[in-house]
Amino acid sequence: MRRETKRKVRKWMLVICLLVVACFYIYPVFLMVMNSFKPFGEIIGDVLAFPKSFDLSNYTYVVDKMKYLLLFRNNVIITVIGILGIVVFSSMAAFILERREGNYCKIAHTIIITPMLIPFQAIMITLLKSMNVLHLSGSKIGLGIQYWGFGIPMATFIIFNFMKTIPRELDESATIDGASTFRTFVSIIFPLLKSVIVTVIVLDVMWIWNDFLLPLLMVNSNNETKTLVLAAYTFVGQMNTKWNYALTAMVLAIVPSVIVFILLQKYIVEGVVAGAVKG
Amino acid sequence: MSRKAKRQLETVLFSLPAIILVCLMMYLPFVLSGYYSLTEWNGISKEARLIGLDNFKTIFVESGDFLSSIWFTTRYTVFFVIFSNIFALALAVALTKRFRAANFFRGIFFIPYIMSMTIVGFIWKFIFTSGFEKLYEITEWSLWNYSWLGDTKLVFYSVAFVGVWQSLGFYIVLYIAGLQAVPKDVLEAAVVDGATGRQKFFKVTLPLLGPSFTTCIFMSLTNGLKVFDIILALTKGGPGTATNSVTLQIYKEAFTNNNYGLGSAQSIVYFLFVLIITQLVLKGFSRKEVDL
Amino acid sequence: MKKKLLSALLCTAMTAALLAGCGGSEGGAEAPATEAPAAEDAAAEEPAAEPAAEAPAASDEEAEIYMFISSPEYADAINTLIEEYKNVAPNVTINYETTQNDYPTLLKAKLNSGEVPEIFSSTSGKEIDVYKEYSFDLSGQALESTMQPAVASMMASPEDGSGLYGIAIKGNYFGMIYNKAIFDECGITEFPTTFSDLEAACEKISAAGYKPFTTGFNEWWVFKHVGQHFVNAAAQNAGISTAELVAKFEKGEAKVSDYPELYDNFFNFIDLAVKYGDDKPLETALDGELSAFGTGKAAMICGQGAWVEADLLAIDPDLQIGFNGYPVTDNAAQCQVIGGSDQALRISKDSEVLQPTLDFVNWWYTSDYGKAWFTDVAGVVPPVVSDAESTFEVVKQGDALSAEKGAADLSICYSTDSWHQTFGEIMQSYISGSVDKDGACAQIEEQWAAIDGAN
Repeated sequence: MRRETKRKVRKWMLVICLLVVACFYIYPVFLMVMNSFKPFGEIIGDVLAFPKSFDLSNYTYVVDKMKYLLLFRNNVIITVIGILGIVVFSSMAAFILERREGNYCKIAHTIIITPMLIPFQAIMITLLKSMNVLHLSGSKIGLGIQYWGFGIPMATFIIFNFMKTIPRELDESATIDGASTFRTFVSIIFPLLKSVIVTVIVLDVMWIWNDFLLPLLMVNSNNETKTLVLAAYTFVGQMNTKWNYALTAMVLAIVPSVIVFILLQKYIVEGVVAGAVKG
Repeated sequence: MSRKAKRQLETVLFSLPAIILVCLMMYLPFVLSGYYSLTEWNGISKEARLIGLDNFKTIFVESGDFLSSIWFTTRYTVFFVIFSNIFALALAVALTKRFRAANFFRGIFFIPYIMSMTIVGFIWKFIFTSGFEKLYEITEWSLWNYSWLGDTKLVFYSVAFVGVWQSLGFYIVLYIAGLQAVPKDVLEAAVVDGATGRQKFFKVTLPLLGPSFTTCIFMSLTNGLKVFDIILALTKGGPGTATNSVTLQIYKEAFTNNNYGLGSAQSIVYFLFVLIITQLVLKGFSRKEVDL
Repeated sequence: MKKKLLSALLCTAMTAALLAGCGGSEGGAEAPATEAPAAEDAAAEEPAAEPAAEAPAASDEEAEIYMFISSPEYADAINTLIEEYKNVAPNVTINYETTQNDYPTLLKAKLNSGEVPEIFSSTSGKEIDVYKEYSFDLSGQALESTMQPAVASMMASPEDGSGLYGIAIKGNYFGMIYNKAIFDECGITEFPTTFSDLEAACEKISAAGYKPFTTGFNEWWVFKHVGQHFVNAAAQNAGISTAELVAKFEKGEAKVSDYPELYDNFFNFIDLAVKYGDDKPLETALDGELSAFGTGKAAMICGQGAWVEADLLAIDPDLQIGFNGYPVTDNAAQCQVIGGSDQALRISKDSEVLQPTLDFVNWWYTSDYGKAWFTDVAGVVPPVVSDAESTFEVVKQGDALSAEKGAADLSICYSTDSWHQTFGEIMQSYISGSVDKDGACAQIEEQWAAIDGAN
């Protein structure tokens, strides 16, 4: 009995501590959302003050101006294509490179993960040139495919490290049972990777959905191919920024990805429980 | 076909798509811009003039700004790696306890990671100025009255702090995935053996988190060494040149000063520098990992 | 087994190839800009590609114009303009793209990958030459007749002083914006036009409980806007033109300490502004400046001009805005406002659709709608000769002041923003105390020559 209450008290303490930390942590985000309800003059006058009246006019203006639904669809297309390729190609590579030995694997692993060290700004000019040659610039699908190349290094790295925690006996016994490598990968390893795959999906959805520089370089020239974040940036100028619209547009751009994040988080937990039972 | 050859072929086929894609999107442009490091070129004119290795000479002879930006970046990286990993691990442990709002909390800690840099810069500049001013009026602690973005010494801490704040959620997610993967039966066995909560964490969970550590430390290391956006948003390298990171320095050289050739040369030198450091760290870590 | 594996891999590979193919074709259909390189090749094969002169303005001709410019603050207004042009030339499509973040970088990427936009931006003056090999000379076009002479002079190539390599989206006024109500309250009836008057005024304002200045020294471009007033005075007192003075600095022949207007007055002004300015001078950026001035806490706002008025009025519609030059010396006549255009829209000279593009900009500058657009839709100082009366105080007072005592040279245009950015960094180091005045001057002399001397 006493142990039970002690545990409960500790749990509540934890939640309260987290709540306090989270409040401080989230305060700048809260400011962003709060200011999106204020007119320009009130924002610049005092960022920290509460809105004088509840006003949705920023939202109606921005939704109309940035063609929200069209751009939302663009974001979905780009993100889905990007994620599919990253997940498939990275998990295959990570699986084989972690399980097999030899110089080829070592070299291939280094080749795949080293690009994480290349700063994007260093390759901007020549990237557009190369993508023009490959006909990948200027279109949503082309941009999605480019994300394969940019996302694979990190995804492979994360999955590769996670593979180490999956006991080798599992796939070895499958091989002894006569399953092909591909079959072993698809029906044994991939399900066990579920939680790390979801993690990779979460990180990459957030990145691709909210990315700025690459879409700016590749798909900004046409209203049909623009993304939400690009549209939000049209309110930002050097000497005049319409902060009321910029903040609103940014809130509208990131909200869908936050919802996806919270939904997917569940699967990280569930995935592991299911995997552990099987293992 | 022999079994060995078949296995070798499989290995190649499984990894080839990833290698090809990475080569097309990352190495190809990088090598192409490597060519410009041998030229004198402003990034605009149609002809680039080949000058051999002069740009590399320039880096090592007149390297004042470049060296001071390396020093800044190193300090930033150390600060960033240590604090983002400690805080992320602590929060991840708290957030994997079973309670109702856990998912919601995870969402909260992740949002700063996806906020646009322009907005982060805008909001934090106001917090540092008018927010701190209000806090000073209330508390009268001189802490709030310092010029956190305007003083050449303090600005390092402000930038590093906002940097950790902004990307913490990313590492939390990675640690959560690692913590979830710690097998329940091992933990249960530890409880049966009479381990206390603390012992369980330090003796069982922590060693088994090895791969997560490797991932997070490597990622935070590369992200720290590549720091760019957060500095551009908050200080643009200022006041003066107090917060010029290497990537920002290269960017300014290439695009603001119109010395694309020299900028390319700098980015190659820096790439090699980062490559060596990360490989050393990675080696050190994978040796320490515990196998299951 | 092996077959299965192979087929699976082939499938993925083919899907990828297919997607890539789709990507290519979709790119063609949706974003015509990407076809530019291909189109260029075609043009190269047929040397008979129509010279601009042979194709008279045929507005029924199909054309797509790619317009990639900075200044997103005018996005709405430009979209309206483009809509209106649809009525004039229904077959001309204008793909308008705008961004402020990383604009110069993106432009370079586009120029180098062969995607040269038909219309792009740069700053005027010195940068006219930087992009000259891509830029069409608009001399002799209809728009030349309506362009303000002060604007046109900024669009000439500084190298030989000839040509017209761009049009302006707006004119501008630079100077000191002050709060008339605060000045009245402190009993200052005349704006201080000499440096000693300014010091006295600061004391009075400060005694009345207001901040005399808000400075925005966090932004690099504030320094160039302030500095140009002093550069003009220095050149004038030395008996040379501002362009000549700037050229001397670029060649490394000039010393800051030879010009008391710079060595003494400019640095004294900065010191004064720091002393009487924001509590955290290097932390206050444009938004902080607007906040301090708009809420009536500060009496003068540094380094700004006509563009901030609308934002200030959004904070307080009753703000009494005054506008004047900078008190740069003890000669009141040198306290002048600066007018002109610091931005240029450039026309690509190798464009496939050069003639339709020229038709568009000519229409913009010479048609009744186009001329009225600057004041009625965009709300800017018109870069064209027009009788339209501006509603902005800064513009009205700027017009009156330049009629009365003349406007000074827009001297920032003699240098590139590359230099200005470094100049801003040097001045920030000076304010933060990490270099002293002589150290800052030495850096100015060295960097000015190194950055702009080479170009």
